[in-house]
Amino acid sequence: MILRIARKEITEMIRDGRFRAAGAIVFTLLAGALLLGWQHYREVSAQHSAAQRATREQWLGQGKKNPHSAAHYGIYAFKPKVPLTMVDRGTDPYTGVAVWLEAHKQNEFKYRPAQDATAVQRFGELTGATVLQLLVPLLIVLLAFNAFSGERELGTLRQLLSFGVSQQDLARGKALGVAAALGLLLVPAALIGVVALTAGSGQTDMIAALPRMAWMTVGYLLYFGAFVGVSLAVSAWASSSRSALIVLLGFWMFNGLIAPRAASDIAKALRPAPSAFQFARGIEKAMQGDGHDSASARAKRLEQELMKKYNVDKVEALPINFTGARLQDSEDHGNEVFDQAYSRLWTVFDAQDGVHRLLSAAAPSLAVRSASMAFAGADFPQHAHFARAAEEYRRTIQRVMNDDLMRNASNTGVYLAGDELWKKVRPFEYTAPDAGWVLARQAPSLAILALWCAVAALAAMWTARRVRVY
Amino acid sequence: MRYDWRNLSADRAPLAVAVVLGAAIAYGAFNGSEWIRFQNRAISEALAEERERFDRIRDEIPRIESGEKTVTVFADPRQPQSFGRNMGTRYAVMPPAALGALAIGQSDLYPYYFRVSTNSKQTFLNNDEVENPVHLLAGRFDLAFVLLYLYPLVILAFSYNLVSSEKESGTLALTLSQPVSLRRVVMAKVLLRAAFVAALAVLLSAAGVIIGGANLAAEGAWPRLLLWAAVTAVYGAFWFALAIAVNALGRGSATNAMTLAGAWLLFVIVIPSVLNVTIKAVYPVPSRVELIQAIRVAGDESTREGSKLLARYLEDHPELAPPSKGPAGPPDFGTLLVAVNEATERKVQPVLAEFDAQLANQQSMADRLRYLSPAIVAQSAFNDLAGSSAHRYKHFLAGVDEYHRQWRGFFVPRILKKEKLNAGDLARLPSFTFREEPTAAVTGRAGVAFVGLLIAALLAGIPAVMALRRYPVAG
Repeated sequence: MILRIARKEITEMIRDGRFRAAGAIVFTLLAGALLLGWQHYREVSAQHSAAQRATREQWLGQGKKNPHSAAHYGIYAFKPKVPLTMVDRGTDPYTGVAVWLEAHKQNEFKYRPAQDATAVQRFGELTGATVLQLLVPLLIVLLAFNAFSGERELGTLRQLLSFGVSQQDLARGKALGVAAALGLLLVPAALIGVVALTAGSGQTDMIAALPRMAWMTVGYLLYFGAFVGVSLAVSAWASSSRSALIVLLGFWMFNGLIAPRAASDIAKALRPAPSAFQFARGIEKAMQGDGHDSASARAKRLEQELMKKYNVDKVEALPINFTGARLQDSEDHGNEVFDQAYSRLWTVFDAQDGVHRLLSAAAPSLAVRSASMAFAGADFPQHAHFARAAEEYRRTIQRVMNDDLMRNASNTGVYLAGDELWKKVRPFEYTAPDAGWVLARQAPSLAILALWCAVAALAAMWTARRVRVY
Repeated sequence: MRYDWRNLSADRAPLAVAVVLGAAIAYGAFNGSEWIRFQNRAISEALAEERERFDRIRDEIPRIESGEKTVTVFADPRQPQSFGRNMGTRYAVMPPAALGALAIGQSDLYPYYFRVSTNSKQTFLNNDEVENPVHLLAGRFDLAFVLLYLYPLVILAFSYNLVSSEKESGTLALTLSQPVSLRRVVMAKVLLRAAFVAALAVLLSAAGVIIGGANLAAEGAWPRLLLWAAVTAVYGAFWFALAIAVNALGRGSATNAMTLAGAWLLFVIVIPSVLNVTIKAVYPVPSRVELIQAIRVAGDESTREGSKLLARYLEDHPELAPPSKGPAGPPDFGTLLVAVNEATERKVQPVLAEFDAQLANQQSMADRLRYLSPAIVAQSAFNDLAGSSAHRYKHFLAGVDEYHRQWRGFFVPRILKKEKLNAGDLARLPSFTFREEPTAAVTGRAGVAFVGLLIAALLAGIPAVMALRRYPVAG
């Protein structure tokens, strides 16, 4: 019976010109968005890997130099693009693309791509994620808002029930019908996506992307399920198709437009982040040692310690180069300061994300947005993961440079190092976290989506049982 | 009309809508004002830091001069290269505009203060505000958001069944049996609703201005505010006109609602996002990653050529050459840096120009194609009037550029001539004051947007009113 109802639904939808038109528009936008995303991914990732090679060559070809000059010259780290960003670019347009790894300082990432765009960008970008999070739910609403109320208004509901069809079967059949209609749209689009993914990335990237893609799909299916359930429930509960549509459009609006913005403002109000000025100033003050442990005092102390350790009475007599030791000592101190400052800032961001997660209990769109960009590899925690790796690499460079100074430079003359030393610093290699890492963080979002889906399904069943027949 | 008012007021819906819209506007204005407060706090903290630093230097210079305190060359504030590069750098600040609280716009994406030094501009221009990128992605719940997205929906909710509902309940034929034309009836209904909604929008915007703490005493604040109200009104008029046009087609209320909801989706969501990708595809901005590389390569070259460059530079500027006393020793670090910076910037200039050109192309394409969607037109006007557009930011950058030149003009001759600064020089330092964009430029741009919206409203409205003449009253 359920299947028969579903078949009737699909036939009706396919025959309905409005559904065909809406479906065609959504499909075109989705396919177009995926292709554009694919092109964008290819271009940007080619640029980034070329730049990464170039920056390495510059590092190797810097000629004879003092190791500390080389440390100041530094190297750039460019954030790599991961293949699934062709579906969801997440926060990538709003985080910098590159960071300069130099001596003494953990720099901020610079150049947010959104700064190189017009204000039209702020209406939202046409990506697969936009279509899936915003337009497909709208399509679901349009498909399902009159599932019960429409039958009632036509008088067919009474007829159906008089045949002995149970209301729950009716609800299940309707849900299946909507799902099948969506499938007609989304399965081909997903195939396009998979083909683009295969064509756009190497085999290893592809294999790494598969579990992420699977989890992303789970997230979206739960989200769509929640919308189907809510739509059917409202359709059975509402007094007329018109009021069902109004309520559902309101729900859609709240999810797609109001909740993300309101959540940002609420999160900012509850967990305020410092201003860039306060952040930089905090680091500056901590670097100076807040007065009681200034740089010069630390250098003095180090001098005393080293002279005692090597049992000499003046710095020139030390068997190691003092400048190297002092530089590394100040790096060590700086590292502590940066670790503290950034972990404090990122804890605030985490707490803000936590507020978003709490609010997603009221709006599933927040949960699916978070899960989608996380599995795409374009959310803030993964940006921070890269930033940490880049910073680790910066510290390695400093250590190698300062060790060399300490060991090889004399305490009197000029010292220059060459290619051998530059080669000692291994090329920067970054491995993005795997799907398990993301899943551990996104489990709450997926759980909330599952809960939404389950509650919506139960609500649909419950209201269907109580549906007014006329 | 009076009858219709009774009808409307008997319905509780308008009241509910007014409350919801009012709450949204109040919340939006509050958020905007929080953002202004945040910016002002950061600015005043920065300026306080500058004052403190200068007090310390003012105190230090006589002590160094008298030999009471000894410092290394790099920590000596009297050295022009140390002072101009880091110790004595000053802030160039763009304070929030008078109506800044009304539209956050692009202001959360661009820096609003820089610490200007003698180094190349690229070293201090990336002063981005700290922000969770999720918030930048979602955008903010400000007054402009309410007006762009929610206000049209309120209008559509009031007017989607303007004529169709009367037809469906059979009262239309009855009304028209009286000596009134359908156009008069419709106009009366529209005017009533328009008055209601516009009054709501304007009154609540005014409330927003008060909640947002706008500075109405600032120059040009009133013309901006009036234009804001005018743009709001004409943007609303467009949506009313669209509703009449759809009503004039003579379909049922349900179809009207669907059609209008579709139009809203098209204009507010679909067209902007498609336009955004189109603009980026037609005028792709060169990669910043490649810019980084270009700057680096140019910097490396200049550093290698260092002393040669300095010789050439001094040939071009003989007045800046240090007084020659005996054989010239190797040039010092500060002197070399001047020449190296100059050469690097000259080499990078074409690459930066390419960015500017491509961004200008994007902007002009956006300016032309924005008429495809009244929402984009209104957004650009709102951002302009609130001072959170890219235009104002560019204006700020131009000022910073000029200031950067002045700053260098002050220090470079002193660096080359190896002149030390004294306490009196501190008072002679160039300082930055932000000059607001001329009101005429802003109102000019917003005025074009206003006219564009007006034309859109007329394009939708006139044929609609014409079509009403052929409206099938019965059947």
